[in-house]
Amino acid sequence: MNRIDTLPPDIELAQLLQRCAAADTAAFRTLYDKTSPILFARLLRMLRRRSVAEEVLQDVFVRIWQRAAQFEVHRGRALAWMVTIARYCAIDLMRRERMTLVSDDAIAEVADENTGEPGGLEKPNNFDHCIGQLNDNTRQCLTLAFVEGRSHDEIARLTTNPLGSVKSWIRRGLLALKECLSTERQTT
Amino acid sequence: MKSANRELVDRLAAEYVLGTLRHRARRRFERWLLSPQVGALVKAWEDRLAGLEPQLTPVAPPATVWRGIENKLELRKLNRQPTMRWLGIAASLLVFVALGVFFTRPAGPPPITQQSFLQADAQTIYWRVEVLGDSQELSLHVHVVHDLPPGKSHELWALPEGGGAPVSLGLLPHTGDHHRVLNASQRAALANSKQVAVSLEPEGGSPTGAPTEVLLAAPLAKA
Repeated sequence: MNRIDTLPPDIELAQLLQRCAAADTAAFRTLYDKTSPILFARLLRMLRRRSVAEEVLQDVFVRIWQRAAQFEVHRGRALAWMVTIARYCAIDLMRRERMTLVSDDAIAEVADENTGEPGGLEKPNNFDHCIGQLNDNTRQCLTLAFVEGRSHDEIARLTTNPLGSVKSWIRRGLLALKECLSTERQTT
Repeated sequence: MKSANRELVDRLAAEYVLGTLRHRARRRFERWLLSPQVGALVKAWEDRLAGLEPQLTPVAPPATVWRGIENKLELRKLNRQPTMRWLGIAASLLVFVALGVFFTRPAGPPPITQQSFLQADAQTIYWRVEVLGDSQELSLHVHVVHDLPPGKSHELWALPEGGGAPVSLGLLPHTGDHHRVLNASQRAALANSKQVAVSLEPEGGSPTGAPTEVLLAAPLAKA
């Protein structure tokens, strides 16, 4: 397993994406080398099956190549843009296959949570404060959905909570997060 | 967007980004992503929820993944093209010098200057449109066959900036790759457009000269 100790700088990735938009295949290969281990780990976390994650990773890079011209350099966050594409590809696959990916006792291949230094993808200002304001149930539901790609039904089953409660925690949690982040932005 | 609608769309945007909007609802919502207003709501949620991204230990994928990507995108062919083009030019020059006569070298295909991916949702690209040279030619590639009701056609339009009337670039094919030379008004419209659109029309194309039902629009990006 290759380890990448530091994430590649966004500016470098943004430049590579620009070159991909101009059909520069060498830049695409460099981009792949720098980011595929990060995206693969992210897909493994959601899809949990190595063979499936490998298939989806191909689709992710096909899409990155095809959409490189749509990346808005001025918005920055090249890695976040690519991770979002990876998440949506994984969700699309689950949607298409109506896949239930919950075989919880067979999660041998899931990427490890890195307990090392925080950092990497940029968080909105005060995100930690705002997420900390939510109750434990809500935070857990949001995390299971976003990080692991779990559906409402799966979250209800995993947390042994009624489906209605899960849906309402998520809805209210998202609203509260939005409100807190916008308030914090105004006051900072 | 009315404020009640905006609230609903914002809620759907949040669940779209979170991933809990599933199945048909997700597909339906993806059609709305063509709207800049909906796109902005989604981007705002992507920024907000980025804070939930976990820190994971990277895992190197096997080499077969890259080979699969290369095959799907035909990257090797793409790599060879410039060399072949130079070889072609060199050969033409040699002929030109050897014969010592003035004739114009037959032009190769003009380079792709702009392209657009026409897609109804994040997953499926239906057509790739390439503008060749100085907007004088179009190359159309069918990626996925779009459902077409009987007696209907798909038509491609240039959407001139500043709200000018859309200009037809002809019907869209449903299989294979196609090449088309544009007329003067189509060239002028395309040179002034940053977007193209697809409409659903009666068989044979728009009877009015304007799109009947616009299905999708997509940006034209520099290639």
